[in-house]
Amino acid sequence: MIRAIWGMARNDIAVWLRSPAAIAAALLPALGMGILVAVLTNSVGQQPVALVVEGQGRLTKRIAKIIRADSEAYLLTEMNAAEAERAIGEQRVAAIIVVPTDFDDAAAYGNAAIDLYLNNVDIDLADDLRRSVTRSAAEFDAPQLGLLGELHGPSENLLLPNPYRVAISERDLRETNVSFLQYQVIPIVVLIVVSAGLLGTALLTARDFERGTAKLLILSPAGHLPIVFGRLLGGTMITLGLVAPLVAVGFMARFMPPIPSWQHGAALAALLVAVTLTSVGLGALLGIAIRNDRLVTMAGLNAAVYLFFLGGGFTTVAFLPPWIQTASRALPTSYAIEGLRQALFYPDLVGFAHNLSAIAAFGVASITLAAALLARAWRRA
Amino acid sequence: MNAHVFVASAKLELAHLNRNRAFVALTVLAAVSFLVMVSLFGLTGSYAPTALIDLDGGPYSESLIQSLEGAHHSFRLLPMSAADAQGALRAGRLVAIVTIPQGFSAQVERGATVAINVEIDNVNIDLTNDVQRALPAAIADFGRANRFPGVRVHMAEHDVWPRDTAYIPYLAVSALALDAMMIAGILGALATAREWERKSVKLLRLAPAPAGAVLGGKLAVAGGVAFAALAVTVAAIVAIFGVLPVSFVATLATLAACVAIFTCFGAWLGALLKRTLAVAPLLFGLVMPFYIDSGALEPTRFDGDRIWLIAHASPVYYAVGVLEWAYHGLHVTPEPVYVDLLVLVAMAGVCVALTLGSFARGGQR
Repeated sequence: MIRAIWGMARNDIAVWLRSPAAIAAALLPALGMGILVAVLTNSVGQQPVALVVEGQGRLTKRIAKIIRADSEAYLLTEMNAAEAERAIGEQRVAAIIVVPTDFDDAAAYGNAAIDLYLNNVDIDLADDLRRSVTRSAAEFDAPQLGLLGELHGPSENLLLPNPYRVAISERDLRETNVSFLQYQVIPIVVLIVVSAGLLGTALLTARDFERGTAKLLILSPAGHLPIVFGRLLGGTMITLGLVAPLVAVGFMARFMPPIPSWQHGAALAALLVAVTLTSVGLGALLGIAIRNDRLVTMAGLNAAVYLFFLGGGFTTVAFLPPWIQTASRALPTSYAIEGLRQALFYPDLVGFAHNLSAIAAFGVASITLAAALLARAWRRA
Repeated sequence: MNAHVFVASAKLELAHLNRNRAFVALTVLAAVSFLVMVSLFGLTGSYAPTALIDLDGGPYSESLIQSLEGAHHSFRLLPMSAADAQGALRAGRLVAIVTIPQGFSAQVERGATVAINVEIDNVNIDLTNDVQRALPAAIADFGRANRFPGVRVHMAEHDVWPRDTAYIPYLAVSALALDAMMIAGILGALATAREWERKSVKLLRLAPAPAGAVLGGKLAVAGGVAFAALAVTVAAIVAIFGVLPVSFVATLATLAACVAIFTCFGAWLGALLKRTLAVAPLLFGLVMPFYIDSGALEPTRFDGDRIWLIAHASPVYYAVGVLEWAYHGLHVTPEPVYVDLLVLVAMAGVCVALTLGSFARGGQR
């Protein structure tokens, strides 16, 4: 029986390796999404801003220094007014911050302004800059409202009075920030597993119906069960064979953060195997249902898109409206992404067992259903 | 003669698409799904879920809460107990917990400075930055609203555009370019790749009919179907987001141009890869990076010279430039809109020439 299972799995792997289109179908959308995330990293956090300092006074220099120091918010270029106007017109900068000539005099009367000329093309970009410039202005009278003050002021028992009468005592949940790229790479890993498992197995299954080889499979003296399990094993090996090197590269290139402990490593491996089995089961079901490679490709890509996005691929599901959160709970990818983030980003594994159990349940259900339906579909082919 | 061939070819393509209704429907579904899903991204671009623990309940804490709520669409404040908040933060359901301490109002009334406790789940640097910037902005607003003495500097804003464009409508219009590329590209590719898959490309070359007319007929139908699907998508954007285009005529004309151009692009891809099975995932793989590196989230120029230069290789960059202008009246590329359109037309011309070349060579093998 084991020989028959292994023979079927080897055959499927050989067929798959001879189908560059199938490999492309499994990998290209996920890799495209990976490139997207890498590009998106550039759009996060800092915005290009021109600083025009028109005055020469002591207070002017101080506000300019505050703005220059906030390199975490601005990609700053100092320019004169004419250059800055050209730059905003040519979209080389998203905004101009002007410290006017009368800044010192106005500050003496308690009414100084820094002017923000803002390309408010969309509200996300505009709000980022509004928050940053308002913080810079507030920092003038309340130095502890700057980032360093938030992190190392009242939280370290150093509270300076300020005219706004409120200070911030910030405590971060983790010692180090996970980079935006690392945060977003996790769902890409899940997408690769889902795409490879789902499309790989679905195309192999559909191909048997299209070419009539399903009839030959059912006539095999090995029996139905080994052939069915061979198909599922083949799909699993194809998926793991594709995913394992990509994950290894992810760790080596630091797209994924180091694994905190061996328990976290074991959790990561268990989760990836569970997602793979779920995807393979779902792929077999898709192949049985559609039985046409072109349609299977399109349906599989659609399914992968929904599983990725609604599972929290591009966003954090907990931040979405309640009805989307409810829908998301019905998808294995939401547990996979949450579990992977827990395994890689958090010092403890709180809630991980729940996520793993949920995916394992999806895996058992999809594999059992696929095994039962595959044998029946071959008999009727 | 040419018109006759064009019509015959179009009829044949229509019959093919009619037999592949499920494939067409799945293509349209994929494109619309992308639009819906990128809109979800817009939902999390603001209003970070933040637990609010108000241990004071006095007038100044109320005023501070109002300032937090008005801090540039930054917080979705969720009043809850400390235990619930800690649990939610550690489970990744909150970005931060803001605690206003007991006696806050009394101390502020006396002129003292009070520290509010903020615990941030700094797992996502983008959201962490937003919260770290929004809190001082809210505090500055609180100080000004209560006219506390000693505040000397404020920000005076002057906007380039008369009104802000909300994030989801901005993203949705960019996503139309992505949809146009996906639907028109795949249908265009289907029209040409099929000739290789069924080995009928040799017959096309041997036929006395001009290849340009045959290709034109096929692509006209593919483009027509894609345009109909996109028109429905525009209607969905208007109905769901309630944002009307600045000009319906310009929007539909621009969409028609994008569809024509991306159909030609797809036709070339189909002729190049010769298999539908390969074209669909390739377009899926291409559209997302093209989409992001095209001014879809903000003008690409703001992402720096390198990314902006790379964006020029993407047809979606020009399409987003034209569509954002037609729909919202925005200029998101430094190049004038007519230049964006001309580049797209030039790209389409090159694609048609390359496709015809492939048709000619295809028959020789």
